[in-house]
This record gives sequence, structure tokens and C-alpha cells, in this order.
Amino acid sequence: MINDLMILIFAPLVAGILAWAFDVRGIREAIGFIGAAIPVVILAKTYQTVLSNSINYTITVGGFKLIFQLTALNWYFAAVAAIVGIAMALGMISTSRSGYEWLFALMSYTGVLGVFLSQDFIGFFLLWELMTFASFMMVLRNNRHESLKYFVLSVIGAYAMMLGIAILYAKTGALDFATIRQALYMDLSIGAISKGESALLFVLFLTAFGVKAGAFPLHVWAPGAYSEANQSYTSFFSGALSKAGVYGILLLYILMGAKLYAEFGTFHGHLTFAYVIAWIGAITVVVASFLAVLQEDIRKLFAYSSVGQVGYILLAFGVGTSLGFAGGLFHVLSHAVFKGLFWLVTAAIILQTGKTKFKDMGGLAEKMPFTFAMGLIAVLSLSGIPPMAGFASKWLIYEAAIQAHMPLVAGAIFLGSGLAFAYVVRFLYAVWFGQRPSDLDNVKEAPLPLLIGMAILAIPNILFGVAPGLVTEYINKAFGSEIVGGDYFKLVTPTGTYNALLVTIVLVLGLAIAGLVFLYGATTRKIPVTNTYQSGNPVIEDYNLSIRRNFYKPLAEALDFWLKYSWDRFYERIAGIAEDFADTLRQSFYNGNVQSYSWYLAIVLLILALWGVL
Amino acid sequence: MIGIDWKIVLEVIGMLIYATFMGFIFMGIERKAMARIQRRVGPPLYQPILDTLKLLGKKESVSHGLIYDFGPVFALGATITALLFIPIANFQLFSSNADLIVVAYLLEVPMLGIMLGAMSSGNPYSAVGVQRGLLTMVAMQLPYGLALIAIVQHWGSFKLSEIVALQSVHGWSITVPALLLAFIVFDIVFQAMLGLEPFDIITAPAEISMGPMLEYGGKHAALLFTQHAVQLFAETAFFAVLFLGGASNLIELLIKQIAVLFIAIFVASIYPRFTIDQAAKFFWKWPTIIGIIAVLLTV
Repeated sequence: MINDLMILIFAPLVAGILAWAFDVRGIREAIGFIGAAIPVVILAKTYQTVLSNSINYTITVGGFKLIFQLTALNWYFAAVAAIVGIAMALGMISTSRSGYEWLFALMSYTGVLGVFLSQDFIGFFLLWELMTFASFMMVLRNNRHESLKYFVLSVIGAYAMMLGIAILYAKTGALDFATIRQALYMDLSIGAISKGESALLFVLFLTAFGVKAGAFPLHVWAPGAYSEANQSYTSFFSGALSKAGVYGILLLYILMGAKLYAEFGTFHGHLTFAYVIAWIGAITVVVASFLAVLQEDIRKLFAYSSVGQVGYILLAFGVGTSLGFAGGLFHVLSHAVFKGLFWLVTAAIILQTGKTKFKDMGGLAEKMPFTFAMGLIAVLSLSGIPPMAGFASKWLIYEAAIQAHMPLVAGAIFLGSGLAFAYVVRFLYAVWFGQRPSDLDNVKEAPLPLLIGMAILAIPNILFGVAPGLVTEYINKAFGSEIVGGDYFKLVTPTGTYNALLVTIVLVLGLAIAGLVFLYGATTRKIPVTNTYQSGNPVIEDYNLSIRRNFYKPLAEALDFWLKYSWDRFYERIAGIAEDFADTLRQSFYNGNVQSYSWYLAIVLLILALWGVL
Repeated sequence: MIGIDWKIVLEVIGMLIYATFMGFIFMGIERKAMARIQRRVGPPLYQPILDTLKLLGKKESVSHGLIYDFGPVFALGATITALLFIPIANFQLFSSNADLIVVAYLLEVPMLGIMLGAMSSGNPYSAVGVQRGLLTMVAMQLPYGLALIAIVQHWGSFKLSEIVALQSVHGWSITVPALLLAFIVFDIVFQAMLGLEPFDIITAPAEISMGPMLEYGGKHAALLFTQHAVQLFAETAFFAVLFLGGASNLIELLIKQIAVLFIAIFVASIYPRFTIDQAAKFFWKWPTIIGIIAVLLTV
């Protein structure tokens, strides 16, 4: 019997293979879209069931028992992936012309769903690798160097995870999550796993999941990989695939939380191991946001911003209180919808203009009004303007961090949100406003499927912003306790409160008052952007007066000391040294001289003889 | 049918009128006091009202498009929203429905509206103003956040009305040593929030001719003036609520607001303007260090 869960996980992969096999325009897109839509349908169907009891499926492959389970928690992650997945498919109808991209995009979709649903390390690891491989292939198509960087870091993560799994297997003799969890819990009293081994396990898994989540200092692959894949796919890559790393961190808590707490105790009232995660998150937020502000390429800007926003989630999980988890989980959703939307907007801009640098753009708001409106929604949500989904989740994270008495970590959020303001305004100004370069005069609005994809992601931004209780209520049910009180429209924590609906109503009223003053004021006359005050200098079309390059130069000047250091350059240097070393080895040993090869053979035989093998 | 609470409707309308009027008077006080310090006579206190009415009475105003019109409207609307979630003296308004973080955010939203409008005008001076505005915000955000965190950690609540109630029992925030440090930080940041020297980098009349506001005239400018008035009232009230124990009636609040305003005016009339990178370096040095000490003392 074919199980729902199997269809859910493997439908995208099958559709991807079919789309690749029948590489005909029209059919390819139709199959791909259906494949991406099936998980949405199944997840919608199972919504009622998962809250009361989980859906299980076990399959035996090659002697290994693979367990898949749809619980309330991983339904949430899968649903987030599915929303972004269907928007990605719509975007790809417009931006992709190849079966290759459909195959690997949908393959990584399967990988992500599989990672979320696996309940044992065999399936988890295999599907994790499938996800990594597919996303690597997507980057490889456009840029070899960036894809290799992604590959090397992913391999480091994979080895770390495999070692971790091996140690866990050696110690507990189990690979499925439930048994491991229980074994580690039992180990609290037995003490078979020493303190050093627990620390090793923690570091290994943190590395493995940190790479995917783009945590500092393992984030260096993300800017390159996010910007070099097809932008429609990047909406999924950054919106959903990076959440696999976040999910992994959550898994770390579920499996090893009690053990790590017992081994390392608390530090000034915080769980020590969680405190490490919180600080990694905080540093990621600050570093990535600063770098995002200084980017000159639209894709790089959003790539760094993605890294920074996932940092918020790590930070929230690191707080370690139930409110922190609620905030982090909410931010998983809101980041997926606003960043997915941003990438689709970017896809539309790049598709229609063919430019990626800010210096080549400008004045597009008149040409692409719908895309602009969608971009504005994403901007409002990302910069955390009430009442948007981005604000509700950030608000929870603030409350969690300050309530848990992590003042410096909370300070990092304040700084990060100021920086977020700065980089989204940069995007608004450089792309949409100001004088339009003459070569962009014929730009058209984005194609329809892409616009539908954007709308699908824009609606949750507003819906979950006005009614954040929809999400927190689900999270409450998933954890089985009342973490965030209130109703659909109002969030109540022990010390704070936020009524999203009332804020919306008052904001609308305020806008109405201001709008009335405006409407009953004088008549307006529209004038072109070139008709501005210039201290008496005439403005002529020949000079583009919009500031598009080095917009935040003063910030770069204020930061020049810090900008001298870069992890990216550090890794590149190590890579360069390794490459040079390998080159030297190759040139000196494999020199094509038969005589030297025979010498090697003689030496090896001599060594073996001395060893007593021969 | 949802029952409408007429008392709160009247309070809201009354408060809007009062805040707008007092905000304009604050602007007048600012100009008058500056003038007296510089040994000029200065305009009468109600001059900003006359200015705004004059701007509203203009026959025609020019526009650079929809977003250019939307910017000031959005800014004023968001400022009104922020005002209505602050407990003002004995009027609670909607303050039980949103806490400190929400108000702090709402007070920053108008900035985005002004920036949106300024950017869409296409004027390079405005663009420089936008850049400076956002960098100032980035620079001041860390000390600002630390000061707010210190307040929340000490009083153990995010709710503004609770913070006021606790202060009326245990004494004003500034009587607590750690919060006195937070107060110093907040007051430095406040200078930037009001756009006064040494942080009037955003408008810098002598350099970039009012920056973001440059292109605006007629009713657009009138909206922005009104927005500035309401914002001034809201921010001074926010200050009084956080550090000066709130107020039990409007007169008490007014005295505290004017006290806060005068500190800002005196500082502004002494110091020259920073450049933007100097401002960033300054904010990340002493205010941040004092802020960190304050939050660590209140943990």
C-alpha cells in the first residue's frame, strides 16, 4: 500500500524526474507544478489529524528500518516548506527553461520534506544528503566556484553529522530518535557517556546543522550559493532549505537537551549549551546584517539578509525558554514567507531587466507596479512594521530574550533590526525610485505565474500579521502547553501584550485622518523626477543624479577596522594554500618520468619488506 | 454588534487635538528658546501653527507620484498610532493592548514613511538625507535598545502602564542608580530621535537643505509639520513615562515634557553637528558602554 507520507515526501522527486524526462515546454511546467502542489494538498488534509495524534509510516529498505512520522511539530516545518515550495514552482514556470533545474529543485524539495519527517538517523542522513546534493547541482549550473565552496562546507557538515551519528550508535545502539532520546535520558543516571563525549557530540551536531543554517562563522557559502542559483529556486533555498539546519538544532534539543543540561549545567541562570547557540545566533545577526547593508548587488544583499534572519531563529532557540521556541518557530514561518517573497521579487527584477547590480537599476516602480507592491509588503514585514508577520515573530523573540535576562543578546536584535531597516531602504531606493536609466525604459511587468507566486507568499505576511494568534495557537497545541496566551488577534505573554488587530485598526484610522487632511488639501500637480530643487542648477537627463553606488559609504568608513577581517577571505586563503600544496605534490611526484615511478615502487616494496608483510 | 466604548472614543479625539496643539507649542518653545539663547527675539510660540496653516492654505502642491503622496500620510498615520498606545497621564487610551516594544517600533515607523516619500522624489539631497537618517538610526539603535532593556529588566514588565504604576510605588526610574545610567544613554539617543544637534545630521539645513523634507511643499509639508508636532509630543511623553514616573494629570505631564524638552534644547544649542561616521563611532563608544553597564547591573 502506498502511504500518504510516501506520496507527500516523494511526489516532488517523481515529478522532477518526469519533468526532466519529458523536457517539453508546457508539459514540464505542468508536471513540476503538480508535483509541488501535492504536498500542500496532503498537508492540508492531515491538519486536523496531526494535532491529536501523529501519522506513522515504517518501511524496511536494505535491512534498515526507516521511520517517518508526521507529528504536530514537523507538520509545521513541512507546511512552511510546502507554502514556499508551491510559490517556487510558480516562479520557476516563469524563470526556468530547463528540465535540469526542475529536476534538482524538486529533488531538494523532497529532501527537505524527508528531513522534516524522518524519525531515524538513516533516513534523516540520506535525505539530508539528497537535499544538499540537489541544491549543490542548482548552484553548480551557474557558478562553479561558489558551488564548490558550498560543497566543501556541506561535506564538512556531513562528516561531522556522520561522526556524531556513529558515536551515538556506538553508545546507544540505536538509530531511531525515540530510542536515542530515551537512552540518553537513561544515561543521566548511568553516565556511560562522559562529559567530553557529550561536548564532542554537541560540537559535531552544531557544526552539521550550523552549516545548513548559515551560522557564523560557517555562513560563507550562503551569499555565493544563494545568489548564484536560479532566483525562483533561491526563494526555496533560503526560505525553506535553510530551515533544515534550524530544525536540526531543535532536534538537538529534543534528543540531547536533558543530557547536555545535566553535563554542563547552567551559566548565570542560562543553560550553558543553549547560551552558546544564542550567542552564535546573535553574532550571526549582527555580522550578516552589517555585511548586507554594504552590498552592491541585489542578490548578495538578500543573501546576507537571509543569513542574518536565520540568526534570529538560532538566537530565539538559544534563549531556551518555551517563549523562545515559540518566537523562533514563528520566525521560521515569517522568514520563509517574507524572504521567499523577496527572492521572487528579485527573480522578477532580474528576469525583466537582466541586471543584478544596484548601479544599473532605478525608477522601476512605475514600470512594475505590482512587483513593487509585493516588494513593499516584504519590506514592511522584514523590517518588522506592525502589523506584519515579521513584527509578530520578532516581538516574541524580543520578549523571550529580555525575559530570560539575556540583555546583550537582546541588544544584538535591536542593532540587527536597525540594520534591517537600512538595507531594505537601500533596496527600495536603488531599485524602485529615482531617475530611471534610459536602457530600462522598455521594462515590462513580471509574467503572471511569477506574480501569482508572489501573491501566495504575500498573503501569509499580512494574514499572520493581523492574526498572529493563528500561529501561536498551533504552536501551543504542538507543545501541549499554553506558551503564548491571548486569542487569534492578541498575543499575551506573562509580562507583555500585543493586540495586532487593534494596532491595525488604529493604524488604518490614523491613515484615514492623515488621508482626509491630504484629500481636502490643495490640488496636486504631478511633476517628473527630474524637476527637483538643485540649488539653482538645471537638471538635465544626461546626468543620473540618483545615488546608487556606495550608498552607505560613511558606514563602511566607520567600520573600516572591522571590515579588514573576513572569514570568507580566510577560508579562501586556506583553500588556496591547500591547492598550492596539492599542486606542488602533484608536480614533484607525478612528473611523468617512468624512472621515478619505478623508484617509488621500489621504495614501497622495500618498506613493506621491512615491515614483514612480504 | 460590537459595543463602542464612547468614553474612549472621546478620549482619543480629545487626546489627538491636545497632542497636536501641544506638539506645535513645543516646536514653538524650541524655536523661541533657541532664539533667546542666541540673543535673538524669536518668533511667538504659536508660529509653527501659523506656518502649518499657511502651508495648508496653498492653492496647489506638486507631487512626484503616488508613493510621494503616501509617504507623509503614512508617517502621520503611524505617529498617531504610536501616540494612542502610550499611557498619557491619567488617560490609558489603548496602552493595555500594546507594550514597550510595540511602542518603540511604532515610534520608528514614521521615519520609514518620510524616507519612502523622500526617496521617490528623486532629489539627490533627499537621498543623502535618507542615507544619513538610516545610518543615524543604525548607530543609535544599540544604545537605545540597551536603555530600554535596562528599564524592562529592572521593573520586570513590558507594559508601559505597569512601569508607571511601579514607579509611583518605588520612586522614579532615575532614582535607581543603574537606571540613571540608562537615563543618560536614553537622553543622548533622544537628541538624535528629535533630530537636534549634535545629531541633526539628517536635515542639516546648511549642508543638504533639510534633506528628506527638501522636496516637500504645500499640504505635504503641512502633513509633515503636523507629524513632527505629534511625534514630539509622543516622544517626550514616552520619555516621561519611562524615566520620570509618568504623570497623574496632564499638567504634571506637561511640566515633565517641557523639562525633557529643555534639556534637549540646551544640549542642542551648545554642540555643533557631528558628521555621520563620527556620530556612529560616538554612539558605539560611550553610550553603548554605559548602556552595557546599565543592563548588566539590572540583570
